[in-house]
Amino acid sequence: MKRWDLIVIGAGLAGLTAARTAVDMGAQVLVVGRGMGSLALFGNTIDVLGRIKPAEDMEAGVAGWIAAHPEHPYARTGWPGISEALDAFRDLFPPPYTFDAVGGGNSLVPTGAGTLRPTYLLPVTMAAGAGISAADTLIVGLKGFKDFQGDTVSLHLQCRGVNLSLPRYGLEGLTALGLARLMDEVPFRESLGEAIRRQMAGEQRIGLPAVLGLTAPAEVLRTLEAVTRAKVFEIPMLPPSIPGTRMFHRFRQHLIARGATFLLGNPVTGADVKEGRCEEVILQNPPLLNHHRADRYILATGRFLGGGLQAGMEKISEPLFHLPVHQPDRRGKWFGERFFQTEAHPIHCAGIVTDADLRPIDAGGKAVLKNVWVAGSILAHHQMIDEHSHQGIDIATGYLAARRALAS
Amino acid sequence: MARVSETSGAMVMGWVEMALRTEVLIIGGGATGAGISRDLALRGIPSLLVEKGDFTSGASGRNQGLLHSGARYAVNDPEAARECIAENRILRRIAPHCIEATGGLFVSLPEDGHEYRADFIRACAAAGIETEPLTAREVLSMEPKLSPRLIGAVQVPDGAIDPFTLVVENVRDAESRGARFLLHTEVTDLIRDGRRIAGARAKDRITGEAITIAAPWVINATGAWANEILRPVGLQIGIALSKGSMLITNTRLSERVINRCRPPASGDIIVPNDTVSILGTTSLRTEDLEQQEVTPEEVSFLVEELAWMIPAVKEERFTRAYAGVRPLVQSAATGDDREISRGFVLIDHGSRDGMEGLITITGGKLITYRLMAERTVDFICTKMGLHVPCLTHLQPLPGAGRGHTFQDRLLRLRHQIPASRSELLCDCELVPRETVDAILREGRVRELQDILHRTRLAKGTCQGGFCVYRLLGVLNERRKEEGLGSSNPMLRAFLEERWKGIRPVLWGISVKEEELIESIYKGLFNLTPQEAGPAEGDRP
Amino acid sequence: MMHAADTPTLPKNLPDLCVRCATCMAVCPVSRVTPLFPGPKQAGPGAQRFRSASQVSVDDWIELCTACRLCDTVCPAGVPISELNLMAKAKYRDERGGTLRDWLLVRSDRFGELFSRFSAIVNPLMKQRAVRWLLDKALGIDRRRELPAFDSPTFRRWFRNRPVAADAASRPTIAYFYGCFTNTNDVDVGKAAVVCLEAHGYTVSVPHQRCCGIPRLGVGDLRGAREMGLRNLSLLLPKVREGTDIVFSSTSCGMMLRHEYGPLLDLPGAEELATHLFDICAFLLRLQEEKQAPLSYRRLEAKAAYFTPCHLRSLNEGLPALELLRLVPGLDVRLIEAECCGLGGLYGFKKEKYAITAEVGKDLAKEVARMKPDVILTDCEGCRMQIRHLTGMRVLHPLQLLRDALPPADTPADIGAVPNRSPA
Repeated sequence: MKRWDLIVIGAGLAGLTAARTAVDMGAQVLVVGRGMGSLALFGNTIDVLGRIKPAEDMEAGVAGWIAAHPEHPYARTGWPGISEALDAFRDLFPPPYTFDAVGGGNSLVPTGAGTLRPTYLLPVTMAAGAGISAADTLIVGLKGFKDFQGDTVSLHLQCRGVNLSLPRYGLEGLTALGLARLMDEVPFRESLGEAIRRQMAGEQRIGLPAVLGLTAPAEVLRTLEAVTRAKVFEIPMLPPSIPGTRMFHRFRQHLIARGATFLLGNPVTGADVKEGRCEEVILQNPPLLNHHRADRYILATGRFLGGGLQAGMEKISEPLFHLPVHQPDRRGKWFGERFFQTEAHPIHCAGIVTDADLRPIDAGGKAVLKNVWVAGSILAHHQMIDEHSHQGIDIATGYLAARRALAS
Repeated sequence: MARVSETSGAMVMGWVEMALRTEVLIIGGGATGAGISRDLALRGIPSLLVEKGDFTSGASGRNQGLLHSGARYAVNDPEAARECIAENRILRRIAPHCIEATGGLFVSLPEDGHEYRADFIRACAAAGIETEPLTAREVLSMEPKLSPRLIGAVQVPDGAIDPFTLVVENVRDAESRGARFLLHTEVTDLIRDGRRIAGARAKDRITGEAITIAAPWVINATGAWANEILRPVGLQIGIALSKGSMLITNTRLSERVINRCRPPASGDIIVPNDTVSILGTTSLRTEDLEQQEVTPEEVSFLVEELAWMIPAVKEERFTRAYAGVRPLVQSAATGDDREISRGFVLIDHGSRDGMEGLITITGGKLITYRLMAERTVDFICTKMGLHVPCLTHLQPLPGAGRGHTFQDRLLRLRHQIPASRSELLCDCELVPRETVDAILREGRVRELQDILHRTRLAKGTCQGGFCVYRLLGVLNERRKEEGLGSSNPMLRAFLEERWKGIRPVLWGISVKEEELIESIYKGLFNLTPQEAGPAEGDRP
Repeated sequence: MMHAADTPTLPKNLPDLCVRCATCMAVCPVSRVTPLFPGPKQAGPGAQRFRSASQVSVDDWIELCTACRLCDTVCPAGVPISELNLMAKAKYRDERGGTLRDWLLVRSDRFGELFSRFSAIVNPLMKQRAVRWLLDKALGIDRRRELPAFDSPTFRRWFRNRPVAADAASRPTIAYFYGCFTNTNDVDVGKAAVVCLEAHGYTVSVPHQRCCGIPRLGVGDLRGAREMGLRNLSLLLPKVREGTDIVFSSTSCGMMLRHEYGPLLDLPGAEELATHLFDICAFLLRLQEEKQAPLSYRRLEAKAAYFTPCHLRSLNEGLPALELLRLVPGLDVRLIEAECCGLGGLYGFKKEKYAITAEVGKDLAKEVARMKPDVILTDCEGCRMQIRHLTGMRVLHPLQLLRDALPPADTPADIGAVPNRSPA
């Protein structure tokens, strides 16, 4: 049976980053994902730590955060680790579709609710959304496209908004994917640009739902900007995420080109552990159980949504390796009384605790598995939703886990 | 919460008036109040109904939606049983579009024994309720999820009823005959004229505007809130408040109503309701009418108890928990609330308290709402010296010819929605945008929850996680023209309200759902506890 | 012969698994081109909440699902969406009965053998405009769709008549499931499979076999699909029990045999068959990887584009054909970054669905136009037909190219070089 250098379990941003880091180091890598992972849902920009104010220095901000939160996953990587991993991420997206920090630190970008969200790296298609002002921005909604409500955005941003329909194309009822596909067609985006231009009243920026093409987003942007003679930006919206799907495709393309094997659609349901080492994992592909072996494994299965953690009626567990899970002591304490509250719901701090190398440890601090590393949101002691750190944690720990695993 | 739209607000008749006059003032927009309104209208008596929330905001909207056959009461309360079956037959005739005639099963487990079952069948026969005894094998082929341990069952004409449609249809009919309605209007005080009640003072809960309503007759149809109305004029009646908690499943558990064939107890009824099933109930004494949270203990209790009938309940995915407060009329002091009569009382405060012009109608069950209305209006007519017969048991509700199955919504996905180019706002419950547009045209809605009451929006798997964002977008198209501000406070309020129902059932798959919804609203949309400053980014 | 339970029941509460996240909406090829199909989220677990065994089906749009199964491969919650769709299709068909068109199309295996015998008459006929017009009008088989030409003799006949190698008995045996299309319409794929397997030192046997049943499954004929499954199991299991593994060259047949006979159709012995059934490229790749001295392929200077069939994705064993092709020196092989060719098997032949399949296929055609390859390679006959139709280019099974790259010594003289099939 083939023996891989590394098996990455999970095809979210953490798993993809780990796999990519490993193939670039020359390793034979197998990636197994139950599904498409979190990118197709929330992949838009790269949040690192939204708690850092836009004008602040990221390095100092992260250092301060780690000092106040010594158990946070970032404490394993520090800013240098985050920064190195982000550089590697950016290398995967060469021009014209690049990811950059606007103004050096965090910036505020508009969302589908019209709110502003702090984030760090923006794809080129979203960059112009950073630092908009109500006066210079026109929000364009597409009639019949329900997952982006242009009026909600413009009302909250207090700027002008229009809803367009392009009769020739029959946009009503189209999905985000359907629209993105149309955007990839030059005549469509040209006529959309024309339609926008007719609606403009001196605005310098145009905000659109994040559907500016699946295969050629930078070209879509270029066309729209040329026709409207304004800056154009995408606004993140309800899932599924087209920008996230682009990222996923880019990772997959890179991994396959570098010889990694990519298995998607079946869960890893078992692991054979002997003397603290994982010997093989078992992929459930009914009616078959496929066994896969590697020298090292990276667990990047996400939280509850990804299946990395399971909430029973009483306890939270990690279903694959049955790793110890740090958690509140009973179900009554998982969630606070109000949906919105100043502190994150206690359940969000639950997860796997690791040593400095990201190997899982038990309550006594002892490593549980010698050849398993843990990456991404399944880690304990972060509040990725509230602190806006989801992608940063995925990239930084995915990168570190792969480096550590291959160094062993 | 802000008004949904200027136009819809103005269309609520009388809302801009300061002083109103009517013949009969009905307080309470539950099934009883709406039933009285229609009964009065059919007899040609003008009325005005005030409701502090939306229709069915109280117990009428917070029950199991069970169309009783009366079988449940046959052994212990034959009179209630006879009332139920009589009303059951009337409702099937006048409100077929509000009913799903599922039939019901009273299942016996070995510990329930054959003896009670025999008594039960006899008692049903005495009350005029048709029964069909079924063998275990027959029952299990009809409802395969039932416990294989069961020893048999009895089929009865139970069913499911949609209380909101029932009330709205009563209102529609009454309104077409001149009755008037004020929603979101709270009675603050009754107007006394010596030993007579001459009307009420009320307040618009959204605008804060004060309204005076003069009426020679005032009917207190506020159910569990009856004493809240009576207290300011120094009156009180003997009702006990009983909280009943229920759980909603993601999919239908059974095709029929499932009861346990034993003396009525807690946690022994499962009612199919549209796409879901409602499991209930608990029965706990309560004093607080407004704060009705379902506790983890109640959830565990219901799951444990109902799993005896359908073992799969233990693995079931629940989407929401909720509670209602039943007003139970105290005839004699007794320990168990289920021993207190579920019957209703009609109190003439003139003869009881020497306070003329005021009637309280309370207690009872959803299924007897029409009978309660009939008795109330009969009484008023006698007092007024009118001899007009009741027609509500004969005349069908306006929409009675309309077909109604939840499968119609599925059917529409192919034909109606693509043809009208309508967006499907709610993916889980298949609610198209035109349904919302029609409700907005009707003009009665004044806040977001009003729309949610009138549709299946936010009642499916994700509980509004996706569709309420879309719904607000639809509303914003109008709100924008009216110069209104951001809808995000409405979104926050909705998510907070949603949380109350979801939090008690957060384990298993529901936790995944919550991670998704939280990631969208707190993560992606960065909605924060309060309207935040620009640093955390609400408004530029 | 039917099994006791005609319609297999799904494990309980599958729609409950769905968290409504909409990941499936990021891949569904049908809902990306038409609002007529509400997409997997609604059509699968969403609609399932409205369906009841005791009620007549109302969701006839379920017919628009091509059963590509891409939704299954991306769902983070493990909802078997396409299975829910298939069950719904089956119920719909049970209630309303099948059409004559479906009856004819799913029997292409039987008609194929007949037509193959008379290919000299049938092939020119099928190119006739009048005939295509008639099929379009009478049966609703779209006239824009080329009907595949029939080969003569069939693969089976060719195989039966070829000389047996002298040392055949001393070599390990591998059984080959060629599939109907290879048998009657793409015989060269079968020949290439035999040559490649023999080059690795195997003796190939071709057990009796029937259509795998996937066309029947596609039209909602679960009963028919089970029947085909039972027949194949009775034909193939004896081979397996002799200790012979089976390979398939059609990813759709393979997906059906390996993953639908058991979990969906609940056929006895399905699991036993599945554990001995391999994708031919995965099998060859394993031989290359595990052998001490793997075959070294000849140099082939060409620019090839490889397309991943949807059913290969659901087989979920990676891209073995691509990896094999990468072992050929000089061959510049790249992956086509497109999802789903759009044909959906018989789906694409139906008049009312032609527009959808054509629109889905556009994305693939665009990508091919950008890449400008000399040849396109893909394991599925449906994809090959569709890509030829869309691009007019040369489209082969990867084995056909690999055969040309085999070291000469290993190529048995009695076969010789078979020319690559070009589009008609």
